[in-house]
Amino acid sequence: MIVPRPILRGAAVIAVALLPTGCGTPGTTQPAGGSDIARSVLGGYSLGGINVGSAASAVSHAQDAYREIPEAEEIEMGKDIAAGLLGAAPLARSSEQEIYVNNVGRWLALHSSRPDLPWHFGILDVDTVNAFATPGGNIFVSRGLLARVHGESELAGILAHEISHVAMKHHLADIQKNAQKNLALDMASLKSGGLAGEAARAVARVGLEGYVRGLSRDDELAADRMGVVIAARAGYEPYGLVAVLQSLAAMPQDDAALGFFLKTHPSPHDRLAALEAQMPASFETYAAANPALARYGRAFPTRK
Amino acid sequence: MKLSSVAIGVFAFAACHGALAEPAVTVRAVELRAQPASDAKSIKSLPAESAVDVVGRQGAWVQLRSARITGWAKLFDIRVGESGAPVAAKKGGNGVADTLGLAMGTRGSSVTTGVRGLDADMLARASPNAQAYATLASYARNKEQANAFAKAGRLASREVAELGTSAKTASGAAK
Repeated sequence: MIVPRPILRGAAVIAVALLPTGCGTPGTTQPAGGSDIARSVLGGYSLGGINVGSAASAVSHAQDAYREIPEAEEIEMGKDIAAGLLGAAPLARSSEQEIYVNNVGRWLALHSSRPDLPWHFGILDVDTVNAFATPGGNIFVSRGLLARVHGESELAGILAHEISHVAMKHHLADIQKNAQKNLALDMASLKSGGLAGEAARAVARVGLEGYVRGLSRDDELAADRMGVVIAARAGYEPYGLVAVLQSLAAMPQDDAALGFFLKTHPSPHDRLAALEAQMPASFETYAAANPALARYGRAFPTRK
Repeated sequence: MKLSSVAIGVFAFAACHGALAEPAVTVRAVELRAQPASDAKSIKSLPAESAVDVVGRQGAWVQLRSARITGWAKLFDIRVGESGAPVAAKKGGNGVADTLGLAMGTRGSSVTTGVRGLDADMLARASPNAQAYATLASYARNKEQANAFAKAGRLASREVAELGTSAKTASGAAK
């Protein structure tokens, strides 16, 4: 979607003024000239493929929307989005459980294509079923989803799916695609003199809206495929994700705890069918590590 | 060795589930096998849409009970749930979901009171919580800690190729 030029120009200038330090192009000071400002926005937080310097064609917009964002900026962006998510849902209070989930997650992430990101894993203290990933490596799983998990390999299946979204930059691409229409308007609304940090908040808003839109079916199925591979690479039996999807498929599909999740993901039945078609027979030879099963029960004791 | 791992798998399941069986339905004709292996002896043939109880899982295999016979089939051969199809909501209970619950917190009565949700409206209204983010970051584990955790759980890295055709976007694994 092409946004009218005057809004874009205003958006670009304001974005430069408000971007937090660390988001600018490394090694350069923020330039003052108009077209340079435009370029520095593209090279900085670079959202929406905003191109004010030339007669922008649909083609160049599309290219900008997929411009490679430097990792440091992706991490900053993810931090803002994660802080926004934590504004909507609190972290669970058990540090023992949080650390346990971080251990499982960090070990899995070491077997992804991005082992060196500053990975963070958190349990959201909500009863609904969901899990989230932000760009840059923040992963959240809800208490409501964990309540349907039976062991460490199932937890690993969930976390590996989310890690895969980060590794393949699904949300980052989604944000870039949608920032063009959404963020330009947000930026324009800041003309009357916003505070530093407003731009970052606007970015987080586009990211949070991404969780409401949901990713594409292709992205979800790709994360399932990659997730079972990452779990297997990390030494887990790779059917944990399959078992979780079975449990979700068995829930009443109009259960309030599932509503938001099902609106933003393909149905568990579809995902099971896709995984069955993709998982090779060789995966059946990967056995579970039994001590890992026992310690899951210690971290998350079964309610009697 | 195979037998002992089966035993431990079943034990782990029982420990997690309080020995509850979950109803499920076969999605195709299934041979129940004596062991969780494709070349194990078949002990019973089940037609598609047979009602079974799941009493254990080991990797790709689930242990099923049908009448008084217990045997193994593939996890993909079944759908957990009473009907195997998306289940309609039942008033007054969570049905299968209840027997699956690992209960980290309050459930059951919390279905009607004190449910904490997360939906589109809450995301739209959220204002960032930097302090909570700092708490989140404080739980992070480094590589050495993760390696020690894996070692304690006897988790060893494996070489595993990517699946499917669209996997090319994320190349290269941690060795």
